[in-house]
Amino acid sequence: MKLLSVIRKSIREQWRHFWILLLTLSMAPFFVLVYYLINEASKPHYDLLVVNRDLGADGGNSGEAWIGRLQGDWSDSTLAPLHVTAVDDSAAALRLLRSRKADALILLPRDFSLSLQSGEKHGPVQVELIGDLTDIQYMVTAVWTGEHLAGFIHEQMVLNRPLVFKETALGMSGRLDDFDLYVPGLLILSTVMLMFSSAIALVTEVENRTILRLKLSRVKAVELLSGITLVQLGVGMLSVLFTLLVALGLGFDLAGSAGLFVAICILTSLSIIAFSLILAAATRTANEILVIGNFPLFLFMFFTGAAFPISGRTLFKIGGYPVTLQGLMSPTHAVSALKKVLIFDMSCAEIVPELLALSP
Amino acid sequence: MITFDKTARSTPGGRKAGESRSAEHVIRLENLTKDYDRLRAVDDLSLEIRGGEILGFLGPNGAGKTTTINMICGTARPSAGQVRFSGGDLKGHLGLCPQENVYWPKLTCTEQLVFMGEMYGMPRRRAQKRAAELLERLGLSEKARVLAARLSGGMKRRLNLCLGLIHDPKILILDEPEAGLDPQSRILVREFIRSLAKQKTVVLTTHNMDEADRLSDRVAIIDRGRLLLLETPANLKRSIGEGDILEITLRNPAKHLPQTAAEALSALTRRIQVRDKTLILKSKDMIQSLPAITQVLEKAGLGIAGITMRENTLEDVFIHLTGKNLRE
Repeated sequence: MKLLSVIRKSIREQWRHFWILLLTLSMAPFFVLVYYLINEASKPHYDLLVVNRDLGADGGNSGEAWIGRLQGDWSDSTLAPLHVTAVDDSAAALRLLRSRKADALILLPRDFSLSLQSGEKHGPVQVELIGDLTDIQYMVTAVWTGEHLAGFIHEQMVLNRPLVFKETALGMSGRLDDFDLYVPGLLILSTVMLMFSSAIALVTEVENRTILRLKLSRVKAVELLSGITLVQLGVGMLSVLFTLLVALGLGFDLAGSAGLFVAICILTSLSIIAFSLILAAATRTANEILVIGNFPLFLFMFFTGAAFPISGRTLFKIGGYPVTLQGLMSPTHAVSALKKVLIFDMSCAEIVPELLALSP
Repeated sequence: MITFDKTARSTPGGRKAGESRSAEHVIRLENLTKDYDRLRAVDDLSLEIRGGEILGFLGPNGAGKTTTINMICGTARPSAGQVRFSGGDLKGHLGLCPQENVYWPKLTCTEQLVFMGEMYGMPRRRAQKRAAELLERLGLSEKARVLAARLSGGMKRRLNLCLGLIHDPKILILDEPEAGLDPQSRILVREFIRSLAKQKTVVLTTHNMDEADRLSDRVAIIDRGRLLLLETPANLKRSIGEGDILEITLRNPAKHLPQTAAEALSALTRRIQVRDKTLILKSKDMIQSLPAITQVLEKAGLGIAGITMRENTLEDVFIHLTGKNLRE
């Protein structure tokens, strides 16, 4: 009865402390958006200009056919964002190249089709590649383009290729990009933000001196703290949900066990709420929490792997599980567990050390 | 230390400071002492609070009133001595209206009253009914759904009082209940407190002598943590200080009072002062001596053009006991 009443009151107060709630709920989704934009902006991107001077032959224009194939093949690939632009005038193409609007220029000769149709009688096909030979962007573009063109020529001339590469993605590298790797940490960050709302929910009772009224009443500390904790847990789960929805909306691929995912988020939220009790005990007002709370926030954000991957020096091992200095902060274990579940699709048995470290 | 004394009986008889005349006390303070570092806030305070009475705690700033109240409520731990409650565990039966307004700014008046009621174990329905009743009685019905943060200062003060009463406590402790109230609200609150008399035991601290005089059945005057006197306001005014002041405007004033008149007045009053046409007399229970005084003046041929009398007030008693020096 009293617990329900405390929950009801906490929900009302939490809702009416709108800015605190907004801060708690919006911080991690905002970070997801920022990381997505950074990831998009920093993705490798290669621009190739093609000047097709091929006059064609009886069988058609092989230059056009290759350009079409090149554009089609690369647009289907998410791994190698090679942007192919066909330019009519080689002088204009050179100007674009010089002004760094492209990484490489390939000039197909007038007799490109004829050469392919004539076969070996015609001699080697003379294709010119132009670019800054010291630029890594040029090198990658030239290698990919050359490889693709060689394949096309072999196919057109019905030649057997002496060597074919088979590429195998290491880990999830074939499927995941940096953004996907950051999302588990950001999901934990969304629970870290609970530190503020939880500590403020507690300290306002001291700040408003309403704790005096509660002390005089028959409510027990466990009822009061349980009520506040349950509401904060709800806020934490809501924050995780918003963060996840934003991540999914931006292309994050959710994998792994949903049950484990929820369990990790609940345990992390509880550990953050427990930490907020310490913060509340060390402060007197909500303003103090908003100032002093930034110090643990920085630690939780930047030294647990929540915002950036970080590798700590192993101090010692317990049952093979490395214990680091960062391991003193619960989000470290939460990030590790969530990465294992969401990225490597690991089972509960494989994250037992993390779950134990997170357990109250 | 706070104990609950189920067999406690009041001390009959004497009228010394701290001693009760009644047979039924609900709270007994026994040699209560509170030290804060080197400061002794409450010094060996002993008194009994009777059931159904309104006891006013009077004292200058820093006299130890609020500290005493905190020890009664159990929110401060005595350094020595104890608070004994008769009738068993009174936790949950104490209502407190603190000096500062203590409320939840982000809850409406009804929400916080119902919440507090539930914290005292009241069923929700009963708490809602009681909240509506209290808001009605203290003129806050129209603000029932308004957030406490948006109330005016006087309304917050009244809400503060409602919060102390939501669980219908046996003992109500009011720390400066009229502070910060406009005259209309003050009358409303005063009448409300008076209406609680006999149903509840009310302990109130105040600086307002008029408030203490009008409301209290007994007044405890404390200074520097010590109890100076515990009496009814009427007895205090009758027995302490220089007494009532009588100002008589003389029709035929003389530079010096005639010898016979001066001697007669000296026998009737404690102090005589002549200022221009006005004769100022001070005496306890002046009303009893008034006929004799007028007779003396008429007989001396001084004549009486006008009479003004100001009764000895609690403030006079208070200043007499505690002095005029500023505290803190």
